[in-house]
Amino acid sequence: MSKVRRNIVISFTCLVMFVLLAGCYRMRASKGGGEIGPVGARKLVPSDVQLMPGYQIEVVATDLTFPSALTFDDKGTLYVVEAGYVYGEKWEEPRLIRIADGVKTIVAKGGKNGPWNGVAFHNGNFFVSEGGELEGGRILRISPSGEMTVIAANLPSQGDHHTNGLVVKDGYIYFGQGTATNSAVVGTDNADFGWLKRKKDFHDIPCRDVVLSGRNYQSLNPLTDDPKDEVTTGAFVPFGTVTSPGQVIKGSVPCTGAIMRVPVSGGEIEMTSWGLRNPFGLALSPEGKLYVTENAYDERGSRPVWGAGDVLWEVKQDTWYGWPEFSGAKAIPDNAEFKPPAGDKVDAVLQNHPQRPPDPVTEFGVHSSANGFDFSHSAAFGFEGEAFVALFGDMAPNVGKVMAPVGFKVVRVNVETGVVRDFAVNKGKRHGPATFVGSGGLERPVAVKFSPDGRSLYVVDFGILRMTDKGPDAMKSSGSIWRIEKK
Amino acid sequence: MRIFNCTFIAVLLVTIVASCSSRVSEPVKQEVFDTRTARERHGEEVFMKHCQKCHPAGEAGLGPAINSNPAPQFVKRFQVRHGLGVMPAFSDEVISKKDLHDLSLYLKRWKTY
Repeated sequence: MSKVRRNIVISFTCLVMFVLLAGCYRMRASKGGGEIGPVGARKLVPSDVQLMPGYQIEVVATDLTFPSALTFDDKGTLYVVEAGYVYGEKWEEPRLIRIADGVKTIVAKGGKNGPWNGVAFHNGNFFVSEGGELEGGRILRISPSGEMTVIAANLPSQGDHHTNGLVVKDGYIYFGQGTATNSAVVGTDNADFGWLKRKKDFHDIPCRDVVLSGRNYQSLNPLTDDPKDEVTTGAFVPFGTVTSPGQVIKGSVPCTGAIMRVPVSGGEIEMTSWGLRNPFGLALSPEGKLYVTENAYDERGSRPVWGAGDVLWEVKQDTWYGWPEFSGAKAIPDNAEFKPPAGDKVDAVLQNHPQRPPDPVTEFGVHSSANGFDFSHSAAFGFEGEAFVALFGDMAPNVGKVMAPVGFKVVRVNVETGVVRDFAVNKGKRHGPATFVGSGGLERPVAVKFSPDGRSLYVVDFGILRMTDKGPDAMKSSGSIWRIEKK
Repeated sequence: MRIFNCTFIAVLLVTIVASCSSRVSEPVKQEVFDTRTARERHGEEVFMKHCQKCHPAGEAGLGPAINSNPAPQFVKRFQVRHGLGVMPAFSDEVISKKDLHDLSLYLKRWKTY
């Protein structure tokens, strides 16, 4: 066989293999990191975590239930919040916990209105964002002795996403507020979450006026006993409400899918930016610029969107970031890139766009769940100015199908170039959470925070969250805190 | 003889695909990745903008792994332009000819660093 013919045969064979490998996507089962059978108690083995060369990791705290964020007081003491609520409608008591010398002390407890998603320490007090699944989101000030004061209340949090991470800047508390729905249309997926039957009229609220295209969606009606009953629902309206072309939805604040701010002493809530699906993590760069991680669309509900990667944005005042019509800087309607493999192209629900969204800093893996993050600010740790991001990991198949676990690691991002590199992953031939690869490594990193001196990176590991036929199933007391330092 | 050769190559490729680990990253390789040229550096940025979300770090995610894909670069460029299966096509208005070639340079370097 001549060299030329051999090359032709190799190329042809590769092409055939490509077709075979890529063509059968629809037939393949999802292989998400949480799609595992029952597991036993969690084990934690630092040597099962693979870090950038020159770094080491250790366990700082264990037996936490749904930890979601951490901070440090002015003495450098570590504090952790436990969310108190997790998807799958599992309710616990949200808690603020001090961890000193390995001893846990409860500083404050919340009621049944979790999840507590963010915490910051400022001027002698803690500020906590209360997700508000039952009673609406709140921003709380908690004194070191546990005295609690409400700074902001009645935030629209009773939907899919909640009041999220917060930072304190220039006398204001900036916080993220997630949307009620996946892509602005209330559907049967929201009944699966649990909230639609509790809050039948809940829907997304734009911060500013929007003009609708009048596109409506037909779905089954889980609010009636008739399993064949159907309803028609438009965007930004309650379930079962029809919209018309040119209809204006009045904007108001507080709104969903936005970053808002409130003075640290309380007062009027203002919109900072909007059009963000689930702005989960907020952090300030060493230069004082505000950044946010956005959990992007899922392939679910009446208006499923495929192939939308989570996003890291720089937050700019009075800017619309594209939800529910853009993913990153790319328009979704009629775009093949976002068409579900077994569905139709996504239609526009807005008649016009408030503006063209800015370019994102970078995009992460689809369904990776880019959550809490922080910037390195010390040469003692290295990578100064880079963002370290906790990727919670996919919740497939509920969010859509994946071919392998996505997320479940800590990455670093050069915010100038948008280049993402792995920083902390689990060892093994396969990538995935510890329970998936059968190790004692990272499970679901949900937030990271540098110590005040900048030498250590603390990782909040939410713990075990399996995806079962009945939905998400989180395991109590499986959360932990890891600490990474240079050797 | 021809059938034997084709079968042999096919089996070889399947073996390569099956045996190659798709895991390529700094923690896994215990080595810092450094782009050697401005074009590789630019290619990495193109990857981050258009490819990373479905193939994070070249591993499988929403899409299959490309780190362990043995296809020559020209086949991969063809796939980017024309799409395949559920992968959309990227026109030269989205990824220019130069960007595509820089992407190739980066992928080649990433795979073997």
